[in-house]
Amino acid sequence: MNRFRVRVFSLIALFFACAVGARAQDAPPNVWFQGTRLIFDHAVASQGELMVSTRDAGMRRFLDRLAATVSYQPQQRYVVITAADRRTVVFTLGDQSYTAGGVRAQAPVAPLADGDDAVLPFYALARALYVEPVATPSEIVLQPRIGALDVRTEGGRTTVTVRAAMPLVTTTNAESSERVQLSFAGLGSSLAPAGRAPGTAVDSIGVAVAGSTKVPITTITIQGARGATHRVLASGSPDAYTVVFESARGSVAVNAPPTPPPLAGWTPPPAGAAPGYPQTATTQPAPATAAPLIVAGRATVTGLAIEPAADDALAVRVTLSGAASYAWHRLNDNRWYVDFQNTTLTGPGRDEHPSFGAVQSVRVRQTGSSDAPAVRIAFSTTGQQRIDLAPSESGLVITVSTATTTDVARTGTGRTGGAAVVASAASPDPNASPSDTGGGTSPGWKFGANNGSKIIVLDPGHGGADPGTQHYGLVEKVLTLDIAQRLKTLLVAQGWTVRMTRETDVDPVSAENIAKMRADGKANPDDRAYLQTRCDVANNAGARLFISIHVNSAPIESARGTTVYWYKPQDAPFAQAIEKNVIPLAGTQDDGTRHENFYVVRHTSMPAVLIETAFATNPGDVALLRQPSFLQNVAQGIANGVKAYAGSPSANALSQQQ
Amino acid sequence: MLIVLFAVAVAAAWWFTTRAKQSAIGDTITVYYAKADGTTLVPWQVSLNPARGERGDAALDRRSTIFYAATQCVAGPPPGTQAVRFPAGTHVLAVDVQGSTADVDISKDVASSAEGGFAESAEFKALVWTLTQPKFGIDSVKVKIAGARVATLPGGHLGLDEPLSRSSF
Ligand SMILES: [Zn+2]
Repeated sequence: MNRFRVRVFSLIALFFACAVGARAQDAPPNVWFQGTRLIFDHAVASQGELMVSTRDAGMRRFLDRLAATVSYQPQQRYVVITAADRRTVVFTLGDQSYTAGGVRAQAPVAPLADGDDAVLPFYALARALYVEPVATPSEIVLQPRIGALDVRTEGGRTTVTVRAAMPLVTTTNAESSERVQLSFAGLGSSLAPAGRAPGTAVDSIGVAVAGSTKVPITTITIQGARGATHRVLASGSPDAYTVVFESARGSVAVNAPPTPPPLAGWTPPPAGAAPGYPQTATTQPAPATAAPLIVAGRATVTGLAIEPAADDALAVRVTLSGAASYAWHRLNDNRWYVDFQNTTLTGPGRDEHPSFGAVQSVRVRQTGSSDAPAVRIAFSTTGQQRIDLAPSESGLVITVSTATTTDVARTGTGRTGGAAVVASAASPDPNASPSDTGGGTSPGWKFGANNGSKIIVLDPGHGGADPGTQHYGLVEKVLTLDIAQRLKTLLVAQGWTVRMTRETDVDPVSAENIAKMRADGKANPDDRAYLQTRCDVANNAGARLFISIHVNSAPIESARGTTVYWYKPQDAPFAQAIEKNVIPLAGTQDDGTRHENFYVVRHTSMPAVLIETAFATNPGDVALLRQPSFLQNVAQGIANGVKAYAGSPSANALSQQQ
Repeated sequence: MLIVLFAVAVAAAWWFTTRAKQSAIGDTITVYYAKADGTTLVPWQVSLNPARGERGDAALDRRSTIFYAATQCVAGPPPGTQAVRFPAGTHVLAVDVQGSTADVDISKDVASSAEGGFAESAEFKALVWTLTQPKFGIDSVKVKIAGARVATLPGGHLGLDEPLSRSSF
């Protein structure tokens, strides 16, 4: 059977290869994009598609303009294009079916391999990247479009995010606090012209397109609820624009104690009876908030997998074809359900009694009317469980934890399965399954080896051509040297001999190490930061302890605090002593100690730590890092940690002699 | 007689097609991303479509699946999900599989900005956990940057000189 399939595949591939070859001399159509003509040098038109090689200059230019990247390797089956907003478009060689942002679609012609490159259906790819090929009498115009409008509601707060193919150039016209008009020049739209969402902080959204095919203008008008206020949020991506509306009563609703929603027609089961649900939709309570703003095409629930997850949680994976809006509701009698609007169920409903974790039953039903079908998935649990919703590429994952929640959120909405997948903001982070693996497993390390040395090596992170992290005017290499010099003074006063991997603004890389790392094939591209030199300082000196000092940074502003990293088991108690002593003096958040494969702690032979003192990306930590007193306190905290861990050097030397 | 043969042929064709489709839809892989705390990993499911399992070359299947998983991990979870992500533009250039080791070649965008140990650690932890999920039969991950072996990222902290495994983190 496999061989049969291989042959069929080869035949299909051959057929397309021949078709491509036969038309090779056909010039591709004129394609206009962003003010210029795209020149394709490895492309052929075929069955209404334009088949273009990944090495084609026009393809490269197109993808560069969209900041999209191609991953393809000869002898591989898949070609993965990553869009600027991190959605992936996945083609399979020899297969017309492809996925864009997890949603499956069909191209008229299958992609195929061409030597070391892949030949892709270009129009299908363009659409997946939110660029619509529009045929005019003389040419094909590639029109960038607004690809998605995500709306999510949490309590009295509704967030509207616009996503597009290109960085958005927005003209905002706030007509009042309740109403805002956004104009996007150069972008078309295929979004539904208008939608309403009564009951949320946004009443309606209107979409209008003006201008020409080549220079379209899309205007989105968002009408907030009465008394609502709005503000623009940083979306973290130039291709997205986010406006938050807050209703006047929003904050009150969120903070109010949970009140039971009306339970029309629902009679609780008698005590001791098996938990159950109303059999028909008509007996279910009416949703507290309505949801879908933009009515998408009808979606179908194609699969439902119920499986154990970490920590005895139960995960229900709902597979959807197409995009769907959903609304979830928590009832006060340990029931929870989610409705997928405008969605149908393939096959009959389902009743499961997994008796796993905190879940007593899971019930799946087709509800709603033929005009407005909905699929309801309802849980009965032992208590008010924490329930997390996470968008997967193909639908939604509902995780029911064994932990209960005091979260007062009773309802939330979201949208999933479509080009833009958005989890309901009312549900907290998806539950994590793997936690830190804890202790190191490398054999052969000696615990707490006290070599009796009086030498401590301090390693101020980065230096010279390697500035380390730079934010808010702070430069890591300057701060690390400052702290190290303060620490040196304190440790010398304790009686230690202190050696520094650098005393000035240099990158300590020895010529001999550069030669060695080249010979080993481990060259960093520009010879920067070959950290072995720093390790050598400590290893060659036979140092008692090694301390590397750094300033952290994160792509998320909220990350803050102090972490001490270790690798070898013998590092762990030293790391704990440092963390414990630094936190009270520095006043930073205690992020604990972490086992991590950091080069300088791994390649040093004595107890070693790397301290990330604070985040140069968190405003609160930045304010601290600007104060010399903070740098001094960090140094003092580390010195105290050294004393707590290793005592004084003379005592060490003494114990070694005995 | 001919009609019976034809019916059998149609039934067989239907059976093969249905089977292939079922295996295609049912097949998912787990991809991890790191939450905003930089250390907690969140698994999410990515369907291995389209049409996996139709051609049945086990080695190609495994290699392609691992490549697919690496590309999805580097791309990160869907937009709007708060996660510690690889720097913009980072993508997988190649993945070679030898026995239980995957050798991942990542574009130089990964080193485009010198960042703290926080992000490096979160990114590579997610990648290693993704590639070492049990069904891949991989237990260690080697890393190349733009085709070159490196000791660390330029200005980096994480050791990339030795293969990484789940116990590295
Ligand atoms: Zn650093």
